[in-house]
Amino acid sequence: MKKLIDAIKNLFVGLGVTAKHLPRKHITLQYPDERWPMPERSRGIVVLLSDKETGELNCTACLLCMRSCPTAAIRIEHEKDEKGKRTLKEFTVDNTICCFCGICEEACKFDAIKLAPKYEFATYNKEDLIWTTKKLQEMGRDVPYEVTRKKKGEEKAKPEAKPAVPKTEEKPAEAKAENPVPAEPPQVSDNKEEGK
Amino acid sequence: MEIAGIFKYLYEQLQATGLPQNWVDLISLLAACFMIFGFLALVVLFFVWWERKVSAHFQQRLGPMRTGWHGWFQTIADSIKLLTKEDITPKAVDRPVFYWAPIVAFTAAFAPYVVIPFAKDLIVSDLNIGILFVLAITTFTVISMLMAGWGSNNKYALLGGMRSAAQVVSYEVPMVVSVLAVIVFVGSLSMVDIVTAQQQIYQWFIFRMPFGPIAFVIYLIAATAETNRAPFDLPEAEQELVAGFNIEYSGMKWSVFFLAEYINLFTVSAIGATLFLGGWQGPFLPSWMWFLGKTLFLVFVFMWFRWTYPRLRVDHLMEFSWKVLIPVGFANLIVAGLMKYSGWFNW
Amino acid sequence: MDTKELRTEEFTINMGPHHPSTHGVCRFKLTMDGEVIVRAEPVIGYLHRALEKICENRTFPQCIPVMDRFEYCTSMSCNMVFALAVEKLAGIQVPERAEYLRVIMLELNRIASHLIWYGTTCLDLGALTPFLYAFREREDILDLFEMTCGQRLTYNYIRIGGVSRDIPEPFVPKARKFLDEFDARVDDYEALLNGNPIFITRNKDVGVMSKELALQYGVSGPALRASGVRFDLRRDDPYGIYDRFKFNIPVYHNGDCLDRYLVRMQEMRESAKIVRQALEQMPEGEIATKISPVFKAKEGEIYSRIENSRGEMGVYIKADGKEKKPYRVKMRGGSFNQLQVMPHLVVGHKIADVVAIMASLDIIMPEVDR
Repeated sequence: MKKLIDAIKNLFVGLGVTAKHLPRKHITLQYPDERWPMPERSRGIVVLLSDKETGELNCTACLLCMRSCPTAAIRIEHEKDEKGKRTLKEFTVDNTICCFCGICEEACKFDAIKLAPKYEFATYNKEDLIWTTKKLQEMGRDVPYEVTRKKKGEEKAKPEAKPAVPKTEEKPAEAKAENPVPAEPPQVSDNKEEGK
Repeated sequence: MEIAGIFKYLYEQLQATGLPQNWVDLISLLAACFMIFGFLALVVLFFVWWERKVSAHFQQRLGPMRTGWHGWFQTIADSIKLLTKEDITPKAVDRPVFYWAPIVAFTAAFAPYVVIPFAKDLIVSDLNIGILFVLAITTFTVISMLMAGWGSNNKYALLGGMRSAAQVVSYEVPMVVSVLAVIVFVGSLSMVDIVTAQQQIYQWFIFRMPFGPIAFVIYLIAATAETNRAPFDLPEAEQELVAGFNIEYSGMKWSVFFLAEYINLFTVSAIGATLFLGGWQGPFLPSWMWFLGKTLFLVFVFMWFRWTYPRLRVDHLMEFSWKVLIPVGFANLIVAGLMKYSGWFNW
Repeated sequence: MDTKELRTEEFTINMGPHHPSTHGVCRFKLTMDGEVIVRAEPVIGYLHRALEKICENRTFPQCIPVMDRFEYCTSMSCNMVFALAVEKLAGIQVPERAEYLRVIMLELNRIASHLIWYGTTCLDLGALTPFLYAFREREDILDLFEMTCGQRLTYNYIRIGGVSRDIPEPFVPKARKFLDEFDARVDDYEALLNGNPIFITRNKDVGVMSKELALQYGVSGPALRASGVRFDLRRDDPYGIYDRFKFNIPVYHNGDCLDRYLVRMQEMRESAKIVRQALEQMPEGEIATKISPVFKAKEGEIYSRIENSRGEMGVYIKADGKEKKPYRVKMRGGSFNQLQVMPHLVVGHKIADVVAIMASLDIIMPEVDR
């Protein structure tokens, strides 16, 4: 008998729990009209970052990201300019196989590649998901980033670059240091900052 | 303001045109049919939207918001989509059975409205077997489900159809028994008589101690099972039978089932309101408002059940009907009979 | 009545691979007598992605994102078990703070995983509303993860040698706020179901797994603890710094669906306790030992195992010392054993119980098929 009363009581307790939630404020959003703010660390699409002053790509075509990519979504074509420095010819990210792990971003020593907190890139064609330099650069224009991992010469640059992390990308141009990159020694690009 | 007056006026105008009496009756009956049809279509549109909203707010969501104010247009958009969808008939189905099932379902859902008193003096036909007619005709739903389950030639559908047959038949009994308690007390099967017996609030059958509330609870449970709504939605249990008896239906035919389901929900609520909550009786407000208000309240209760409870298992369902509801219902009936006979509490 | 005279015809029904409640793409071939199961045969492999083979072609750090896909409800555990194995193999020391961060993330992830289980269990039993409540809380946890590592599902957070990033400023207050609210939320869940007669009749004495059966099939995790075996790797084979925390291991003895439900509900509370302690004790300091992205592990083999929300999750790595890739990787997920034991549990029950039993065992297909 006690069990029966308990059971009936519990049925009403259940109704009470749902009733309690009825007047509560909704926790969902009307998606395309309203959006959650994305955390700044959010790993969305891959973008290429540009120098904040000159607007040119930070990428030096060092191929570190390409080598670290677990799914081989990054493809970099490079060429030599007249001075014999390696420059970027074409940077391709295949978003159909990218797994958004963020390893490329960690591998990069030049603040050149980042997973930006942007997430809407659905298209009607698969081909449109293969992004080349131009698109990647365009997507990365408005992505804020901290100039943390300055290229080689980190030790020397530390006193000025580390503490404040200035918004501009001022770096001692002649900073030189050993090359921490194990594989290809990255060459100076036509970027403003240069190492070596 | 009473609606019945308008209809009465229209009827008199029709008579004044000088048509023969049987023509006048025919025209007025047809008009009544179409009016109820239109009313039910509106009700279903509203219910579907309402259920989505209620469930959403139970779950701290918003539900449909895009089409119109708070998405009220959503159901209409959905029904347009359903009507324009390709009408698929799987190859292996038993065609006549497959085609007729939704029609039977719809007819069975539609017919009870002949005897439901919507407001004071507003009833299509005050049959002297009113409530019996409702109970008899709503049972046809089970035939439609069996037809759908059998005709679909699908194992899941067959399981769903069989479940619905077992379920609806066994829950018909406690439902009738609970209704009988009221009938015994009123002494008439006519819906109008039943409503007139509950003139004051204390005369509502839900407040008639001790048999009233028990009969009401039994009716509520049995009605949930009759309409195949959660927690008794076994025939279409999505998580077990995918969609149960209507697994092979799509587009228009499926929407007819859907329509019938919501009409049935309105039917059982309306009958519950009529039998236990005094029908259209009530102070101050016009009678149709009372009727609609009580019915919508019961519909809300059904929705509340649906969005709170887990589903029963099929054998527990049967046990619950035969071992709990029916004995209690009969005991209740005896109590009601004794009270009627002895004259206690016979206000 | 003599049932032999009134024998009915058996028929086969195909539950899955596309069925609303098989949690992914599992298929059951059910031989039924009416609504009663006579035989059940799980068919697996619909979600096979050859993860073990993929790992053989990746460097060790590159394997971590692959492991995320091993069991996507608790990606942190997958990261952890692989990182743990490689650290053991290569003798890498993990900084103190990283250990605490790992524990916090693992336990939050366990709660998130149990919340998925709770939601889908309710869904499978036909109660739709608790699902949304569970996902509301899970969303808070995912927000914490996202602000830390940037992803909501495939975290790639726990790395070889530590963790990928330190927690941001608002993490600790937000986590504390979540934990404070969480107990009340679990109370709500329990109020909805624990006493509900429908829920109890659906789960009590359904799918009873005896201790012996569970041990024979190597069932682990909450399903084993519901059968009366007090075995939890966090206590019995402590990895990381689990030996520093105080927590209870809920054990029940009937081994039916209800007990599995109760074990998991209590585990959520215990996990919350662990996170609280870890937040309390966490020191400042380094978060990772730097390793080269192309480092080579010493030659050898290793099996590391951790307590996942679905039982023992293990990874076996063999390295040949010459390549910067693992020579062989083998993964073990708790769900596989639990799926194998299912045919024994469902026989004689109704089709609705198959759903309930599967939900209570918390089987997730990526872990089975890999």
